[in-house]
Amino acid sequence: MSKKTLIETILAVVGVVFLAFAPWFVGAYWLGVLLQLMSWIALTQSWVAFSGLSGYVSLAQAVFYGLGAYVMAVLWQQAPIWQVLLLAGVAATILAVVIGYPALRVRGPYFVILTLGLSEFVKYIVVAIEAATESSGRLLLGTPDPEILYYLLFGLAVIASLLTFWLSRSRWGVGLRAIREDETAAATLGVPVAFLKTGAFALSAFIPGVVGAIWVMRTTYFEPLELFSPALSFSVVTIAIVGGSDQAPGPILGATFIVILSELLWARVPQLYLILLGLLLISFVLFLPRGIYGQISALQSGKRS
Amino acid sequence: MDTLLSPQLLIAALVLAAIYALIALGLNLIYGTMRLLNVAHGEIMMLAGYVSYWAFVRLGIGPLVSMIAAMLIAAILGALCYLTIFRAVVRNRQLAARLESNSLLIFFGISIIVQNILSIAFSADPRSYSYLDAIIPVFGARVELNRLVVLAIGALATAACVIFFRYSRLGLAIRALIQQRDAASLIGIDAEKINLLVFSLGFAMAGLAGSLIGMTSAISPFGGFPYTISAFIVIILGGLGNLAGGLLGAAVLAFVEIYGVAATSSAYRSILVYGLFIVILLIRPQGLLGRRAA
Repeated sequence: MSKKTLIETILAVVGVVFLAFAPWFVGAYWLGVLLQLMSWIALTQSWVAFSGLSGYVSLAQAVFYGLGAYVMAVLWQQAPIWQVLLLAGVAATILAVVIGYPALRVRGPYFVILTLGLSEFVKYIVVAIEAATESSGRLLLGTPDPEILYYLLFGLAVIASLLTFWLSRSRWGVGLRAIREDETAAATLGVPVAFLKTGAFALSAFIPGVVGAIWVMRTTYFEPLELFSPALSFSVVTIAIVGGSDQAPGPILGATFIVILSELLWARVPQLYLILLGLLLISFVLFLPRGIYGQISALQSGKRS
Repeated sequence: MDTLLSPQLLIAALVLAAIYALIALGLNLIYGTMRLLNVAHGEIMMLAGYVSYWAFVRLGIGPLVSMIAAMLIAAILGALCYLTIFRAVVRNRQLAARLESNSLLIFFGISIIVQNILSIAFSADPRSYSYLDAIIPVFGARVELNRLVVLAIGALATAACVIFFRYSRLGLAIRALIQQRDAASLIGIDAEKINLLVFSLGFAMAGLAGSLIGMTSAISPFGGFPYTISAFIVIILGGLGNLAGGLLGAAVLAFVEIYGVAATSSAYRSILVYGLFIVILLIRPQGLLGRRAA
């Protein structure tokens, strides 16, 4: 085990222990911040597991998240929560397979815009269904305590991080990276590109579905335009770019950075926060395309040699 | 069925098609020559809309005059964007490898910045003004004069562009660059100069479209996104980078939108538009007129 992995492992263990006991010693306000942090980590990790590795920039995170929230809102108090959570994830996965199979035939800008178009399409179908049943927004009464939601999201963030960690080192991840570098060459060499892509896309949809279902219990109100907002997909991409979108530590660093920034600025000067976010996104793409984590790794390996 | 045949709908569809054609031309130019996806297009429109709004409200200058200023401001912004950011992006080998996604992210950053600067400067309230809203009869339909003006200017500007690309040396150079970037540079076309020109021209067209939009509907700092999406749908319908295809795409989308809504209800507008887009992209990803890439 190299020094770098040792340090990273220690940091990860300390972080997990701290977060596991956090509800005991932080107040309600900071618990809310941690809730946000956990959901961003989970969402971005699952994005990285597919888009970061394969290079297919997906703007579909919002539709999986929104669908999960919708499943929870519709089935609220009709079934045990854990069953609904599972169902939300499964629904998002099924949607990913259904749209992924045709969508993954197109590449580059077509794929980006298609995922955005599909998300908007599903959003407006949900809006139309809700309008037809004349329920303008659904209120969820008697949702679990924030502490319970926190542990659910914390568990998801850990699972999502482990998923990216495992995937980026597995054969599957190697195949996805090969697709990112040159899909035609990868296919020629016998990489089952269609299977790997669709599989990773489906896998990366499960977690946002569950996060959406948990988050709607936090806000206690389902409003399709809010929960299916494309801004969520763009935020996820921004976090991934800022943190580094190829390995598991990237999204954790990116999400932490963005949540701290938003805490400092959002409440006082929201517009300035967003302007800064835009500037950050541009600067990272231009100057630090490997993100915070990629940059730290590069600096360290530079020192050693 | 009677309502579907009314000239009112036809004019509404034509007006929308003219606006879409303008937006799509600007977007297509920048994508065609440099493979850059400008998702800040709608924001540039809103910016130009504000220029015309303030010129009218504060100075009493009509949008027909101020649209020139709006286009100039947009063009300067486009030139600045190219010189400060995208010249380096196009040159940088590492960034150029994933140019489309990278440019999408950078332009998304720009769009957030423009939105929020507009929102700080002019507040988030939607703004509108009435200008040339006299109602005149056209073929038995009653149409607001400003819509006809929008239609006329939009059609004129689109025609001017088509003529420019077809018959001028510069237009030919731009088309050559779209078709064969490397070969065009080899025969002595100054790609950098054309890039700069295309950026200014593309942004100016967005500016013109924004000024026109402001005459008939409200503008707001965050109101540009739907236009960006519609523009993308239009240029994908026509085939990315295909200028003539974009015009066809604009007409198709505008007619589907207007007649689809008239036949069903406005609640289904977005479903119709996105549904059409998805179907086209899955059946003919190269666009209505595009040829399959080798």
